[in-house]
Amino acid sequence: MSTDERALDQELDEPPEQEAAGRFARPGLDEPFDAYVLDHTFDECFLPNRWSRPHYAPLHELLSSLPVEEIQRRQLACEQSFLHQGITFTVYGDSKATEKIIPTDLLPRIITGAEWDAVERGLKQRIKALNLFLKDIYHDARVVKDGIIPGDLVFGAKHFRNEMVGVEVPLGAYVSVCGTDLIRNEAGEFVVLEDNLRVPSGVSYMLANREVVRRAFPSVFRQSRVRPVEAYPQMLLETLRSLAPAGRENPRIVLLTPGVFNSAYYEHTFLARQMGIELVEGRDLLVHDGFVCMRTTSGLERVDVIYRRIDDDFADPLVFRKDSVLGVPGMFEAYTKGKVVVANAFGNGVADDKAVYAYVPRLIKYYLGEDAILQNVETYLCREPSALNHVLANLDKLVVKAVGESGGYGMLVGPHASEAERAAFGEKVKADPDNYIAQPTISLSRAPCFIEGKFEARHIDLRPFILTGAETQVVPGGLTRVALRRGSLVVNSSQGGGSKDTWVLAD
Amino acid sequence: MLSRVADSLYWMARYAERAEHGARLLRVRLEAMVEQGDIESSEGWRRMLYALADLDPDDPAADPRDITYRVAFERTNQSSVISSIAAARDNARAVRELISSEMWEQINRQYLRLTNLDFDFVWSSNPAQTFIDIGDGIWFFQGITHSTMRHGEGFDFIELGTYIERAQLIARLLDVYLSPPQDDGPKFATPGYFDWISLLKQCTGFEAYAKVYTAQIAWRKIADFLIFDPEFPHSIRFAVDKVQSALEQIAPGAPQSRRAAIARMAGRMKASVDFGSIDEVVQGGIAPFLTSIQKQCEAIHTAVYTTYISYGLEDVLER
Repeated sequence: MSTDERALDQELDEPPEQEAAGRFARPGLDEPFDAYVLDHTFDECFLPNRWSRPHYAPLHELLSSLPVEEIQRRQLACEQSFLHQGITFTVYGDSKATEKIIPTDLLPRIITGAEWDAVERGLKQRIKALNLFLKDIYHDARVVKDGIIPGDLVFGAKHFRNEMVGVEVPLGAYVSVCGTDLIRNEAGEFVVLEDNLRVPSGVSYMLANREVVRRAFPSVFRQSRVRPVEAYPQMLLETLRSLAPAGRENPRIVLLTPGVFNSAYYEHTFLARQMGIELVEGRDLLVHDGFVCMRTTSGLERVDVIYRRIDDDFADPLVFRKDSVLGVPGMFEAYTKGKVVVANAFGNGVADDKAVYAYVPRLIKYYLGEDAILQNVETYLCREPSALNHVLANLDKLVVKAVGESGGYGMLVGPHASEAERAAFGEKVKADPDNYIAQPTISLSRAPCFIEGKFEARHIDLRPFILTGAETQVVPGGLTRVALRRGSLVVNSSQGGGSKDTWVLAD
Repeated sequence: MLSRVADSLYWMARYAERAEHGARLLRVRLEAMVEQGDIESSEGWRRMLYALADLDPDDPAADPRDITYRVAFERTNQSSVISSIAAARDNARAVRELISSEMWEQINRQYLRLTNLDFDFVWSSNPAQTFIDIGDGIWFFQGITHSTMRHGEGFDFIELGTYIERAQLIARLLDVYLSPPQDDGPKFATPGYFDWISLLKQCTGFEAYAKVYTAQIAWRKIADFLIFDPEFPHSIRFAVDKVQSALEQIAPGAPQSRRAAIARMAGRMKASVDFGSIDEVVQGGIAPFLTSIQKQCEAIHTAVYTTYISYGLEDVLER
C-alpha cells in the first residue's frame, strides 16, 4: 500500500474520536496490526469499522502498546512451559525422536457472558435430546416408529452397536462427557458443526492454555473478569461418582488409557492426576468372578467406574475387535450386568454420525417439544436424490464429508480442491451416496493470532465440554482451535491446527 | 498400588541411578586423565569401560574420546548415560499422574538438555564439567523425589530400584579393582595409589573415607569401607540395608505367605553384610563375594516380579 493510498484509506476509516485512535492500533493500518486484514468473515476482535469490540478493548489496548519483543518473550515462555510439562506429541520417523509441542497461540479468544449463557442453554438442551435419543434407539426406537428419522439410517449406521440394545445405562447418561464443535457464521451466530459423543479430547489443553495465558496477561485477565475453568476435573469426578453402581459407598474410579503411545496420553495422565484417580491400561485390568478388577502389588481390587479413553472397537476383544490388545476381555459383559460402569457408554457413535446430525434439531423438537437454541450448519443428505443432484452440481462450493469419520479425514473442501480431486470425490459419492453429506463452505470466524512477530487473523472454532451425570454441567468456554496456516479452515490438531485460551467474561 | 505403576517407578529409579553412576565415573576419569601419563590413563579407561558396560576393554580402536562417546552419548548402547536417562524419563512419563510435576519436569529437562548437547563441542570445551552437570541434575531429581513425593509404597519401589541398582553397580566396580584376574576375563594392572583415590572418588567416597581412616590409602581399608561401612550411602552394606527395608514396606496388603520368600532372601543378604568382615571376605575370596551380592540382587529382582508385578490370576487364587 502506497503512502497516498494509506492516507486515503485512513481518511475513509478514521474513527471519530482522535484520542482513542492514538492508543489503539487499527487492523490493516497501524503496527503491529498492519498485516491484519478484515474480510467478509466474522471477526471476533474487530468491528467492520476497525474498532475493537468492547470486550476485546483491554487486550487490544495492551497489544497496541507492548513492544513486539515482549510479546515474543511471553510466547516463548509459554512454549517452554509446554515443553517442560511434556505437553507434546512425538514426530515419528525421526531418529532423535523429536518431540514438538502442540502449537498454542498466546492471545485469548474472548466471549461475552451474555453470548455464552445462550450457548450454554443450547448445549444443555442438545445433549439432553441426544441422551434421550440414544436411550430410545437402544430400547423401543419410538423415534423411528414415529417416522422422525429413517430406520436404516439409525440401524445401518457404522457405529450402531447391536450389543447395546436393551442394556440399561445408569441415569440414562450415555454421553457423560461431550465435546461439541461450534463455529460462528458470518452473521456472528454460534452454530453446531459436529457433536463428539464417543471419546472427545482436548480438555487438558483448555486447562494448560489457561495456566500459561493467565501468566502472560495477568492485568488484562483480572480486568476482564474471566470465568474460571479450573473446576473441570472436580466436575468430571463428581459426574463419574454419580454414575457408580448402587451400594458402592466409596466407588473406585479409574481412567482407562490406550497407553503412552496414544496422542492424547498427556491428557489422560493430566486428568487422572487432577482427579486423584488411578490411570490404568487394559493390561492392568481383568475380569474375575464377574467383576472388573485391577492388578495391584497387594492383589486384585474391584473397579466400579471406568472413564475410558479408548474407542468401542478396542475396549473388549471378546465383543468388539478380536485383535485388540488394549482392551479388557469380559469388560462388556460385566458392564451389561451392571457390575461396572463405563463412561461414555458404548454405541454412542450412532448419534454423532454426520447424517444423524442433520436430524438433531428435529430430535430436540421430538423429545423436548422445544425449538433448538443452537442451529445446525445447513446440511445436504446425499441419500436424498434431490440433495445428491444438488451436491454433485455444486462440488466446487461445498464441503463433502463421509459420515462416521472424524478428525478431518475422508472429506473434500470443494473450493480448495483441484478439478481432478473434485471429479474423483464425486465418483465416490455417486457410488455410495448414503455415506456422504455436504455442507456449504462454512465461514469460520477469525481472531487475532501472534504469527512471526505480527498480529494476523486466523480461522477458529470452539469445542465446549459438557458433562452429564446426575446433572448436566458445562465448563465456561472450552477449547478454541485455530487453523494456523493462513486462509486454512482446518483446525484439527492432526492437520496443522493449534489452540488458544478461551475467556468467557463474567458479564 | 497398580503393579504396572510399581514396575515403572522401580525402573525409573534404576535407570536414573545407572545414569548418575555413569556420569560420575566419566567425570572422575576425565579429571584424572589430565594428571596421568598415557599408560596409567589408558588402564583407567579400560577399567571404567569394563565396570560400566559389557564393552570389550581391549578394543584397540577405543581412545578416550571414543569411549566417552560410547559410554555417554551413544543411543544404540543400551547402558549409555543418554539411553539410561531416556529410559528413566520414559518410565516417568508412564506414571506421569503419580509422580510430582516437579519430578517429571526435572527428569524431562535433563533429557532435553542432554539431547541438545553437541558432542564435539562438549569434548573440545570442558567434558568433565558436562558430566558434573549431568550427575548433579540426577541428584537434583532424586532430591526432588525425596522432597515432593509421598513416602508411600510408590516411593518404596523407587528406593528398591535405586539401591538394588547401586548395590550391583558398586559390586561390579569393586570387582574390577579388587578381584584377582580371572582366566576368562580381562587383565588389569595392579592398581596404584592414584587408582585407589580414583576408586574412592568414583564412589563419592574420598572425603568420607578420609574421615574414617584419615587419608591413609590402603586397599584393605578401602575395601572394608566400600563394602561394610553402615553409614556411607555408596557402600554395599548401606544399599543392601535399604533394599531390605524397602522390601518390608511394599505390598502391605499382600498375604504373608506371598511375602515370606522375598523377606527371607533380603534378610539373608543383609546378614551377609551386617555380620561379615573384610578378613573373612578376603579369606573366602573377594571375587566370589562380590559376584554373590550381584546374584542375590538379581534373584530378589526376579522374586519381586513374580510375586508383585507380573503374577497371573491363578497365583492369586491358589493362596
